[in-house]
Amino acid sequence: MCVDELIIKLAELYERHGLRRYKPGCFEDYSLYLDNIDFLISKNVIAFGGAEGRLLALRPDVTLSVVSHLPDDKNTRKLYYAEKVYRRSEGGEFKELDQTGVEFVGDIDRVCESEIVWLICDTLSLIGGRYILDVSHMGYIEGYMRALGADNAQSRVVYELLREKNAHDFVGFSRTNGLDCGAAEIFDSIINIGGNMADAVAEAKRYALNDDMERAADELECLARSLAGWEFCDNVRLNFSIANSADYYNGIIFNGYVDGVPKRVLSGGRYDKLLKKYSKSGGAIGFALYLGELERYFKTAAGVADSLILYGVNTQREALLRAREIIAGGGTVRLASEVPEDIKFKSVTDLRKFK
Amino acid sequence: MINIALPKGRLGERAYALLSSAGYACGEYFPDSRKLVFCDTDSGVSYFWVKPADVAVYVERGAADVGVAGKDILLEYSPDVYELSNLETGKCSMCVAAPADWQDDMSRPLRVATKFVNVAKKYFDGLGRDIEIIKLNGSIELAPILGMADVIVDIVETGKTLKENNLKVFENIFEISARLIANKASYNFKKDQITELVKRLNGEVNA
Repeated sequence: MCVDELIIKLAELYERHGLRRYKPGCFEDYSLYLDNIDFLISKNVIAFGGAEGRLLALRPDVTLSVVSHLPDDKNTRKLYYAEKVYRRSEGGEFKELDQTGVEFVGDIDRVCESEIVWLICDTLSLIGGRYILDVSHMGYIEGYMRALGADNAQSRVVYELLREKNAHDFVGFSRTNGLDCGAAEIFDSIINIGGNMADAVAEAKRYALNDDMERAADELECLARSLAGWEFCDNVRLNFSIANSADYYNGIIFNGYVDGVPKRVLSGGRYDKLLKKYSKSGGAIGFALYLGELERYFKTAAGVADSLILYGVNTQREALLRAREIIAGGGTVRLASEVPEDIKFKSVTDLRKFK
Repeated sequence: MINIALPKGRLGERAYALLSSAGYACGEYFPDSRKLVFCDTDSGVSYFWVKPADVAVYVERGAADVGVAGKDILLEYSPDVYELSNLETGKCSMCVAAPADWQDDMSRPLRVATKFVNVAKKYFDGLGRDIEIIKLNGSIELAPILGMADVIVDIVETGKTLKENNLKVFENIFEISARLIANKASYNFKKDQITELVKRLNGEVNA
């Protein structure tokens, strides 16, 4: 499998769920990204001057285009996209990356949330190999910040410590900043909640310190119940060390990992707050798969064909016919007059010497 | 098998001693060897020795599942990793130091010599102080002595070098010690092994 094959298979999967393909433009007003910089996973947007002094940007993300361009009506839209996105790397170079994703916008109910998790697991499963989907809930984390009595500046530090699973530095920080002792005591327990989703949710409920945390734990319980017994259930884990921007995300959030890839390959969540920012009603939930992270993962499988058929001047038709047979039988074949160096083969048929 | 990145030098040796006492000894390891990779199938570990500043890179990019890095490196490079334990070794401080008679002249930008560009920028941003960074790779103390910088931002362990060069600590920015970090994907796929390692290591630290 390669990235291109995966994109085709994912499009088939999403269309089986009745999702419509969304095709955004390549350029957007730079202000769309500047105003929502914390929503972007990469803050390095490529901007340039357009006609009449407009400052434009090559899109670094698709979700913001979906939210800003979809009409605000009563329809619930279920969309997918497979697009290129453009970013600057940390070293400053321009990068073009493949990204595919799904967005549900409108009346988002429990079925939508469960279907998104189902789609994520099928997406990660199509990549092949082991995968894990970490699930968290912004309501639970924000509720915990309130229980700690943390102001905005303190919350930013606590979010960072949560993301790092850093209990040792939290102890000192909570003491010097006078955070609520009772709430601070359970930090270590919260960052270590994990494993089986049903057990982990029960644990999260036990540690809930206020209505916000309880409500979030109830929502996670609903999700765990609706997915109980499904074949991918063991791959879904609760992990409160995922914390997206509280300015945009409000419900369940997730990160996906594939064994053999060192960084997350997928992320997303419920982002009603982004919709509200654009004065749009309803809710939204979605995810993006970062195909750029997967390029090296697929590399080992690339560059191999079942057969090589080498042809001479008098055996061109013979070679074509044999290749047709192999392809009709489901195999892969390369036709060449010389042995190519860029690809390996399981078998070689040399027709160059035959008349 | 857990792949562990250790920093070359004293800190790495201390970290290895802790890991070894926690049951992760490596039969192949000899301190004077020039080998960079040591494996021990019985302990289920493989050690890499890398430059201290590179440990976080090896871990973030998944070449190592876990590693030992100083808090100074973690705050300078902000790698996207889990920080699972404070090993309470390699203790020192990140400080602002200057000649003993130095007085800040607020009418012009402060010239700051440092290896830790991001740490220095963040610290002086927080104070609202305009600075000019002079990035150096070593012998930072020389910069104010020769008049190239007003102050330095650097690690201070005993303060002996500063004293011998008539420099003085004016501000302690943060305390530093060695931390055990883990790649986020590895943590998911090797959770039991990594959790066990953290537990045993914490047992040694607190012993």
